[in-house]
Order: sequence, then C-alpha cells, then structure tokens
Amino acid sequence: MADTSTPNGTPGSWALEARGLGKRYFRGWALRDCSFRIPAGRICGLVGPNGAGKSTLLGLATRQVEPTTGELRIFGVPVDDPAVMPRFAFLGQEKPLFKRFTVADTLRMGAELNPGWDAAAAERIVRSGNVPLHARIGTLSGGQRTRVAFALAFGKRPDLLLLDEPMSDLDPLARDEMSTLLMAEAVERGTTVVMSSHMLTELEDMCDYLLVVAEGRIRMAGDADALVPAHTLVTGVTRDGSLPPELDRHTVVETRVQGRQFHAMIRPKGPLPTDWETAEPSLEEVLLAHLRSPDAPSLYPQGARVDAEGTQAA
Amino acid sequence: MSTSTLTETPAGLRPRRRLLRGLPWLVVRQHRTALACILGLTVLGALWIVYQRHELVQLLDAAGWPEKEVRHAVDDTRGYGYTTALLGGLPLLLALFIGAPLIAGDRENGTVQLVTTQSVTRRQWLIAKLGLAYTLALVSGLVLSAVFTWWWEPHRSFFLSQWIEGPVFDNTGPVLPAMLLFMTAAGITIGTLVRRVLPAMVVTFLFTVMAGFVWDEFRVLLGSTRMFTYPLDTELPARFAESYEVDRWVGNANGELFGWGTCAEATEKAQNACMKEHGIINSVIEYIDYDQMAAMQWTAAGILLAGTAILTAFVLWRVSRRPL
Repeated sequence: MADTSTPNGTPGSWALEARGLGKRYFRGWALRDCSFRIPAGRICGLVGPNGAGKSTLLGLATRQVEPTTGELRIFGVPVDDPAVMPRFAFLGQEKPLFKRFTVADTLRMGAELNPGWDAAAAERIVRSGNVPLHARIGTLSGGQRTRVAFALAFGKRPDLLLLDEPMSDLDPLARDEMSTLLMAEAVERGTTVVMSSHMLTELEDMCDYLLVVAEGRIRMAGDADALVPAHTLVTGVTRDGSLPPELDRHTVVETRVQGRQFHAMIRPKGPLPTDWETAEPSLEEVLLAHLRSPDAPSLYPQGARVDAEGTQAA
Repeated sequence: MSTSTLTETPAGLRPRRRLLRGLPWLVVRQHRTALACILGLTVLGALWIVYQRHELVQLLDAAGWPEKEVRHAVDDTRGYGYTTALLGGLPLLLALFIGAPLIAGDRENGTVQLVTTQSVTRRQWLIAKLGLAYTLALVSGLVLSAVFTWWWEPHRSFFLSQWIEGPVFDNTGPVLPAMLLFMTAAGITIGTLVRRVLPAMVVTFLFTVMAGFVWDEFRVLLGSTRMFTYPLDTELPARFAESYEVDRWVGNANGELFGWGTCAEATEKAQNACMKEHGIINSVIEYIDYDQMAAMQWTAAGILLAGTAILTAFVLWRVSRRPL
C-alpha cells in the first residue's frame, strides 16, 4: 500500500490519476480535458462553484458516471475495472441509507457486501456517537445518520475516501464532531481523502492538497502549502486609469481598479517594481480569486499534472 | 465465532441466520414486507383452494357423483369468487408492488448509489434484485396454479367458466406462473424507465389494465379453429360439450355459409321462405376443441416467457449502459 506523501512515480502511489478525462451530458461538457493526480495519503480538497463539475468528477471516480473521454485510475486500477470497488468508499451529499433498516442492519449490509469489512471499526464509530444499534435509520437525526454513513464508509477500509459535501447539512456541532472523526480515522489508517466542499475555512483546516475546478476544467492542483506562496497580492498606481504594462510579465489571476489604484493577484515571474505594495494572500483569497476568474491560467505545482501521454509536465 | 477478533462484536450484531449472504440477504431484507405479503397471500390462497376442493369433493361424494348426475355450479359459491379475485388480481399486485418499485424505489431514494459504491457492481445488484422478484413470481405462480388446476381439472364440468375463459385458462397450467413473471418484468421495466415510484405504479396499473384487455382478445387466437357441420334440426353432438364455440353459421348443401341471423325474419313463414331461397339445411360451428387447451396454454406461456426475457434483457442493457 502506498502511504508515501512524496510519490516516486510508481502507479500505486497516486491515489487518483486522471488523463484527458471528460464527461459530456446533453447540455454540454460537465468536465473537460481533466488531467491531474493526487498523491496517496493526502487530504485533498475539491473546490469549485456550484455546477463546476465537482460532483461529476466524484461520480466518475465512484463508477456512478461513465466518462465520455479519457481515463481515471484509483491506485493505478482503472475505475471501469470492478477490482477497484473495494479500494474506495463514497459518501454522497444525500448520504442515502435504507430508512427502514436498523443501524445494525446497515452495518450488516456493509459486512455482507464488502470483502475487507472491519466490523470493529464501524461499530466503534457508531457507538462513540451514542447511536443506538437497534434504532431505525429513519428515526435518527441528521448528525447520527451521517455518523452511520461514515461508519459504513470507514468499515469498508478504503484506501481512498471520496466525500461530496459531507458536512453541508449538519449543524456546527455535528460538523465539528464529524471533521474530528474524519481526520482521526483518516490519519490512523493513512487513508487518502478527497472531499468537495463549499466551506473554504473548513478546507483550510483539514486539507493539505487542493484541486480547484471551475467551468468543468481544473484550475489548480497541488499542495495547499505550495499554492499560497506562489501568489502575491500587489497594490500600485494605475497609469491613466489602466493597468501598468509591467503587470503583463507576471501571471495575473485577478485585477481590480479602484480610483487611481489597482489591486491584483499575481504569480510573480521575477522581481516586482519597488513602488508596488505586496502582501501574501490567505488561502481563501487565492481560491476566491481563482474561482472569480475562470479564465486565469491554471496552476500545477509539483507535477500534479499529467499530460495525455502520461509523462510529467513541468 | 469465539476468536479474539470477534469478541468485541456483541451478540446482537452477529448475524444469527446465515441462510442468506451478500446481495441476496440485502434484497430480501430490503423487500421483506412485500415478500411476506405476497408469500402470505400465496399460502392463504393455496390453503383456501385446497379447502374449496375438499368441500366440493365431499358434496359430490354425498351426491354419488360420478355415477349419478349432479347439478352444481362452483362459480356460484362465494369461495370461488374470492379465489378468482385473488388469482386474477395477483399479476396486478406483483406488477404494482414488486415490479414497479423494484428499481424505481432505489433510484428515488438514492440507495442505488449506496449499494453500488459498496464492493458490488451495478449488474450484480440488478441480477440479485431481478432474481428476487422473479423467484417470488415463479413460486407464487407455480403453487397457486398447481392447486387451482388440481381443483378445476377433475371437476371442470361443475365450473360455469369455460376452459378458454380467463378465470380458468389464465390460472391453470403454465399460464399463471408465466403471466406473473411477465407482469413483474413489465412493472420492473416501467419502473426503470420512469424512475419514480408513484408515477411508475400509475403507468404500471394502466399497462396492466390494457394488457388484460389485449390478452382477452388474444387468447382465442392461440388455438386453430375447426369447423363442424350438422343438420339444422338436430342437436350438436355431446362430444362438443367442452368445445369453445368461436362462431356459428348456417349453410346450404354446396357448403356456402351464411350468417347465423340471415333468416331471422319476423314470421315463421318469411323465415322458411328465406331458408328455402338460400337452400339452408345445415348448422355449422367454428370451434376450438378442449384437447387444444394444453397446446394453447404452453404457447401462451412461451409468448409470455419470451416477453419476460426481452424485457429483462432490455432492463439489464439499459441499467448497465446508463447510470441510474
């Protein structure tokens, strides 16, 4: 099992690897030309506005959606191979469970349908939330139901855990409880986690890897720690009300002109003029800037990108 | 069971019944209410028919049948009404409460996603689901058909319904199991296409009613009719007592046929004149003989089973091709 955080290029060390992945519905492309990889053992945040393609991407990874183009591998196994099924677990937005099943029935389902079922772990998660085993799922609160869904996901002993807005319908207390549970279980087992979320602060706390999607394309992929330092917030004086030409030497993510001043988020490619004020942005600011400007150039630090031939791009 | 790794598991969680494992366990657990209802209905129906038969046999024994002629109509008894209502309603029940929600229910509640993100593929899950529904239809159909045939066949002269009519033809021999399978498959297919439980049930209900009408017209077409000609003023020979009369004509010596009402005139005089004019001397019946029943039933069952196979193949193809 690959639990290294600095992959050495062997297929199994990438938890998720996409090459030219695309999905077209009747309305058009939901996801297009996606090539990226996520190293094993990381907690990866999947960020993007509504309709950006996050759910489609997770649907592709969980075999719920078939790709139109390209391929996706989980630990080197193509997702269309049924052998991939025991390796991942999925927790969707709705967290569907059989409402008439008891908690015990639900856990038994996990045991019946998964070869590597860890009954003790699943039960521990349920018990630590004081969820009665003989209660019907339909009678549980939202937080308790999420806990059972988590137990089902972790009982499967996945190498990759895919979460689609897992906390969106929880109250702050339950959300905090679930985040703690998720982190504890993931760290203990070295599970790779890919979670989509709207809560940028939540991502900042939990994730050490980021995948930013907008308008069906990957905007950024890479270490959360490397993404932020790559950006600089600059403030300077406009020339005749327009942006100075020096700005064009750098990769510009977003600009705003305010009176005689301009503000810009850039990825510097060299020394900046001394009369510009610079500041380091927060992760939230970087993400927001990228989400607001879907046309900005993509960023792939540390070889998170794979081109169509599979060789690592610089 | 007492290894150290399992000691943490409390007895309450340990599966006690190991009869069913994996997906079969899941589908039985999920549909256990519907399953129990249909199986309960089947058992009660079968016991009811056995009781009816027992009553009939006692009555006939007391009356000295078959040595003596007995006038008795099973159709007039309340028990027969209940039996035909159950057997006639069973295809609708299976289509509506087993077939239609089978796929549509999981689709609506999102539990397709739950099951197919465990370590089972969509196709495995679908096969388990279809297996449950078809086993139920088959078991129910075989049991009820067997007991009903056992009641009807030796005592058919006491049933007013003719063998070709729905209450007998559809509920005996291989037709009932095949009909239940087909209707279940139809419900499943509609549920797969409609993807919502309530609309699927409505469409299935309408389909079942329409299919019933079509089937009533279709049944006669399964047999090949024969003609029998006999003199106008004589009775139809007794050997045709069990034949189903499709149509009746009058004919002349040249074999020309005229409609039964051709010479239905107001007065006997006009009638005789008409008959003389056309040279009508014979009655002609077009009939299907009772000895064709078995062949017709197997043909019907074959058609229904072929329909079931086509619908099943369609559902499998659609579900594995398109995500639910």
